Amino acid sequence: MSSMFVQRAHAAIADAQLQRLLDQNYEARQRAREAALHGLQDPTELRRRARAIRQQVVAKLEAYSNQFESRLRENGVQVHRASDGPEANRLIVEIAQRHGAELVAKSKSMVTEEIGLNEALEAAGIRPVETDLGEFIVQLRAEKPSHILTPALHLSTAQVAESFRGRLGAEVGDDVEQINAAARAHLREVFLKAPVGLSGVNFGVAETGTLCLVTNEGNGRMVCTVPPVHIAVMGIERLVPSLDDLAVMLRLLPRFATGQKISSYVSLIHGPRHPADPDGPSERHLILVDNGRSKLAGTPLAESLLCIRCGSCLNACPVFREAGGHAYGSVYPGPIGAVVSPGLFGFEQYGNLAQASTLCGACTDACPVGIEIPRLLLEVRASSAPTPTARKLNLYTWLALSPSRFRWAQRLAAIATKALPSRGGWITQLPGPLAAWTGTRDFPPFARRPLRSRVRRKRQQVWPRRPELEPPREAPPAIESAETSEKADLFEQELRALGSEVIRCSESDAPDRIVGELYVLGASRLLAWGQVEPILFTVLQRLTEEGFPVTQPEVPHGAARDEAVRSLGEAEVGLTGAVAALAETGTLVLSTGSRRSLLPSLLPEVHMAIVRSKDIYADLESWLHAGGSQYIAGSSNLTLISGPSRTADIEMTLTVGVHGPRQLVVFLIE
Amino acid sequence: MRVQLFATCLVDSLFPEVGEAVIEVLARAGAEAWFPVGQTCCGQPALNAGLRPEARSLAIHTLDVFAGEEPVVVPSGSCTDMIRHRFPELLSDDPRLLKRARELASRTYEFSEFLVDQLLIADFNASSHLVIGYHPSCHLLRGLGVDRQPSRLLEGVAGASTVRLDSECCGFGGLFSIEMPEISTEMLRRTLDRIEVAGAELVVGCDVSCLMQIEGGLRRSGSPVRCAHLAQVLAGREGGLR
Repeated sequence: MSSMFVQRAHAAIADAQLQRLLDQNYEARQRAREAALHGLQDPTELRRRARAIRQQVVAKLEAYSNQFESRLRENGVQVHRASDGPEANRLIVEIAQRHGAELVAKSKSMVTEEIGLNEALEAAGIRPVETDLGEFIVQLRAEKPSHILTPALHLSTAQVAESFRGRLGAEVGDDVEQINAAARAHLREVFLKAPVGLSGVNFGVAETGTLCLVTNEGNGRMVCTVPPVHIAVMGIERLVPSLDDLAVMLRLLPRFATGQKISSYVSLIHGPRHPADPDGPSERHLILVDNGRSKLAGTPLAESLLCIRCGSCLNACPVFREAGGHAYGSVYPGPIGAVVSPGLFGFEQYGNLAQASTLCGACTDACPVGIEIPRLLLEVRASSAPTPTARKLNLYTWLALSPSRFRWAQRLAAIATKALPSRGGWITQLPGPLAAWTGTRDFPPFARRPLRSRVRRKRQQVWPRRPELEPPREAPPAIESAETSEKADLFEQELRALGSEVIRCSESDAPDRIVGELYVLGASRLLAWGQVEPILFTVLQRLTEEGFPVTQPEVPHGAARDEAVRSLGEAEVGLTGAVAALAETGTLVLSTGSRRSLLPSLLPEVHMAIVRSKDIYADLESWLHAGGSQYIAGSSNLTLISGPSRTADIEMTLTVGVHGPRQLVVFLIE
Repeated sequence: MRVQLFATCLVDSLFPEVGEAVIEVLARAGAEAWFPVGQTCCGQPALNAGLRPEARSLAIHTLDVFAGEEPVVVPSGSCTDMIRHRFPELLSDDPRLLKRARELASRTYEFSEFLVDQLLIADFNASSHLVIGYHPSCHLLRGLGVDRQPSRLLEGVAGASTVRLDSECCGFGGLFSIEMPEISTEMLRRTLDRIEVAGAELVVGCDVSCLMQIEGGLRRSGSPVRCAHLAQVLAGREGGLR
């Protein structure tokens, strides 16, 4: 049964390059996660809250998904429920066909991998193009992802470059920057051409009907912004009750996934393009996929539904580190995969994956919501047919249930193993299933006189001793980090740490500085928000006077759309305001609405943003409570931006500007 | 004070010297350990193999053997974790048994935990001239949260310098070690590398199962480094597990 996993794992162990990549992933991700957790004030409490939030959802899955569905409908999203994969695929193909789509731009989504959407689209004559760099590489090579977060984990830079040259005709060397540039150019065409964009959903917020998408590259933003139709696909369990709960999850997801405080882009989507919005899709759909989840909620494996697909347990697992993702033969590999795969797709085919663990618990340590994966693996093992070796344990159990039988067995074992080959007293060759042990390890001899025969003979002299240690006390409460710096200083510091430029200036200096920066960058064309605030007003007026070409995007519906969008892609710089900023993560908050296009912060290579120091909040929670929730509800697509577009999909080498801007310049107005 | 010793099946059958050292150290700490003869195995191998009814029978057997009110001391993090966390789960369908399981769990201690947290004794006048590599075993560390206690006890060993090895699994995993020997061996290889890098001359831990895997690998590789249970070091017997 387990032979397929074992065979593939052996091949992985023999593959020196794959081992190097897996080691690299294991070591770098562990370090990154530990460092990111170190920066949190009380990670234990935060994880406890996150766990409680997810438990609440899974306990009342039906009620929350109904609430979510009705809010989405109120927001103008077309909701479709699919009980299984084929139904979901049929619904998606129908929508695509209705819009005459021959091409679909797709951002990373594990649930679409799970239901085999790409195959279904291809069968209907529709070409799905994966736009996440890792997924794109894997699709190019006609392979499957080997990790739920970093799909191309198993490939070296040289292998990726080879595929880009061979299958894409791109002239790239074995260089991540060159590969990145080639992918950007190739996929930009796809974003602009595709009539349908398809994405997953990281979290749905039941109370508000919010779709939350977290990406680093910006491809997620592209597919839900540029094409006229956006289809989001999510498993019904990926919900949180409220925006406050979402804020908790958003603190944990990036830290556990990649060690980031926040991902570059977080999109909070409410409905299709509003009448006043200058752009955005005019049609938005959500496919809510069950595919075995409600059924799983009623089983002992229900806890696995708490998973937020951060991939952290894969990175922490010593078995995954040896075997790699493909050995599991499932869309969901690693520790959580060994629970979810049998839970969703059947014990017969996937139950054996639960054997691939020493139950060491590194996965639970690494889980943001504390899923007790070893306990769940035991549940899977108990519900699967025992392996042949496990069956032999029946005999051991029978012996152990009777102390006298047990003692006889001990004696017998000592006699029977006495003649076996040994070295230095330890056995070098055992028979039967134990031969697997002595293949690589010596085995201790059975004691001629076990402990039970020794203890009866002697009586120990007890030495009276007084306690010498203090009784253990509760750990002292963590000292709160003294936050002396002003919010603006922290904001600047965080943003700089993300590789962005911060220019502090006064209200009156700002227009000069912004126009000056445009010339410094050598820009020939600017994409900008409309005159929604005084500085933008002055800047735009000056640029117009100087004859500098400025476009304020206004994407028409219908046939004229394609040409309009294409021409917008030529601007080198985008200029926007920001409704707020978050100090803790160096985040800009961009709302949508009249004259606030999504494109200036997405299409150009450089994004310049104006933010006022009075609009800086400590973190997402404080902004939500200071009226942020209303902004979220009122925007069709509110975006949190933290630094430039980035990826580390190839050998964990960080590069910027994969789909979105490679440079972010913030004018901080004091 | 009298305590019941749950030696565990591995110590009883393969490493009786570890059990003797445990008894000796407990005696020096003022606790007389006795060996309830009915004891065999806690049932963890069966549970891990997916044989839940069998594991359940052994849990009940263990409840019967360790009746009474005396503390139960176990020289194994893994078996203590089984009693403390898995027994109540296994017996949760029967309120009477569940009550007994919880009661046993509340007075069952891993060896180092019992010395440091219950007896409040950490210095045994032991000495050693070796570089000791302490291996934090998974169930001890993650299941019981016991880490400070063995370190405290090793600090009291005069002359020894102790290095805490990284808390990565040694690859034992019970049946895993013979069902997936190649992966198990790769994990072991990494453990041996860590031992070598740390320059450890003796590997000390609180679980003979992991130590058996590690010493089995050390011996096979021809290394002179040996393993010892913490109790053996405290009792001044550094000759190795056997």
